[in-house]
Amino acid sequence: MEGQGIIDPKIYNELKELMGADYVVEIIDTYIQETEGLIQQLPQALGAGDAATFGRLAHSIKSSSASLGAVNFSLQARELEMLGKANDLAGVGAKLEKLTAAFLLVASRLKELRDEP
Amino acid sequence: MSPNPSPGRLLVVDDNKVNRLLLGRGLEQQGHRVAFAENGRQALEMLHQAEYDLVLLDIQMPEMDGYQVLDKLKSDLDLRDLPVIVTSALEELDSVVRCIEMGAEDYLTKPVNPVLLRARIGASLEKKRLRDQQRELIRRFATAEVAQDLEESGFALGGRFVEATAMFSDIRGFTTLAESQSPADTIELLNTYYTLMFEAISGQGGVVNQMVGDGLMAIFGAPLPLENHGEQAVRAALEMTEMVDLFNLDQAAAGKPTIRIGIGIATGQVIAGYTGTQRRATYTCVGDTVNLAARLESHTKVAGVPILIDEVTRQSLSEAIRADDLGTVAIKGKVQEARIFSIPIGQKV
Repeated sequence: MEGQGIIDPKIYNELKELMGADYVVEIIDTYIQETEGLIQQLPQALGAGDAATFGRLAHSIKSSSASLGAVNFSLQARELEMLGKANDLAGVGAKLEKLTAAFLLVASRLKELRDEP
Repeated sequence: MSPNPSPGRLLVVDDNKVNRLLLGRGLEQQGHRVAFAENGRQALEMLHQAEYDLVLLDIQMPEMDGYQVLDKLKSDLDLRDLPVIVTSALEELDSVVRCIEMGAEDYLTKPVNPVLLRARIGASLEKKRLRDQQRELIRRFATAEVAQDLEESGFALGGRFVEATAMFSDIRGFTTLAESQSPADTIELLNTYYTLMFEAISGQGGVVNQMVGDGLMAIFGAPLPLENHGEQAVRAALEMTEMVDLFNLDQAAAGKPTIRIGIGIATGQVIAGYTGTQRRATYTCVGDTVNLAARLESHTKVAGVPILIDEVTRQSLSEAIRADDLGTVAIKGKVQEARIFSIPIGQKV
């Protein structure tokens, strides 16, 4: 099924069972909102050449994304985190664009899951 | 998941709101009360404002990160024993090691596994409860300085020679007294008596290290050095007799029996150390000086005075304290006779 690779169903279902269906709705909404905010801050940090903040923002995205089962997206964020920590921001722009695009898919897939009965 | 039988007050520190929600939900489901902080600075503010049993600490955070929080906590006397569990990604093992070296108690990897979460939190809270109990026990039996010394020395059981003053005290005719009233009255009397004696002794820097029935032993000058430990012990003894007088007024007013105490004090070298096992240790002093103090205490009955001290203690006294020379007496277990002095009670010093 389309979108299966975006959110790992095993992780997501475990989370839903553990937290309860109602609470998962709240978590998904918070995740989308928070991650949007974090992603928006990335170009700023990049523009300012602030590799430490760039790395920390990417770290935060990586962390919560893994919890919701957005495994591949989390790995993409991890890559940016590592580049930030290594103070190697040259050529990171393309990766950032890919991350931003990938997030749209993650968010839309999570909304689908959220609205499932 | 069933609620935890012993819930705790937990502080979750994480800059990522989703992580806070996930951890918080898991912990609340286990019956704990959870508060949240978004960064280290906020966490420290909250820790100073309210009491918590455990902190779950993220490492990478804006404003003040996990390392800085640990550093602040460990250098804060009030907060350094608060257990901290570090939450981190699996790949951040180096950071976790650094946190453990800085004093964090344990770690959890994110995404957090609920079974591990429950086990680690449970173990940490249990350890904290034991530590609190231990601290409470020490607090009850020692002064604040000594309690701190014991904690800092990690309860080393080794012994050493120290110059100190030993004091023995007991209630005269206690057996007769106990026979004349109900067991409940006797225990109440003992508790009040001990409370008063503890106050007088710790007020002068001494440590009560043994209580047997109606008798107690106290040490001045160990485990922490104390200037003028001889005089401090005598001052404590005078205060103890004053407190007994006050106590007797209350007893008499309530139609209850009054008590008299005898106190023996000796100064010199003692062997001091913690005896027992790691789990149950008491601070003990042994040696000739300790024996002499015990003998002097029992000699108060013969001499008919409440406080007897040895010559070394007498020499350490300032002129403010009056001591009457009672000459030399034979002391059981001693080859040489000992010169003893009586401290008249009721003198203002």
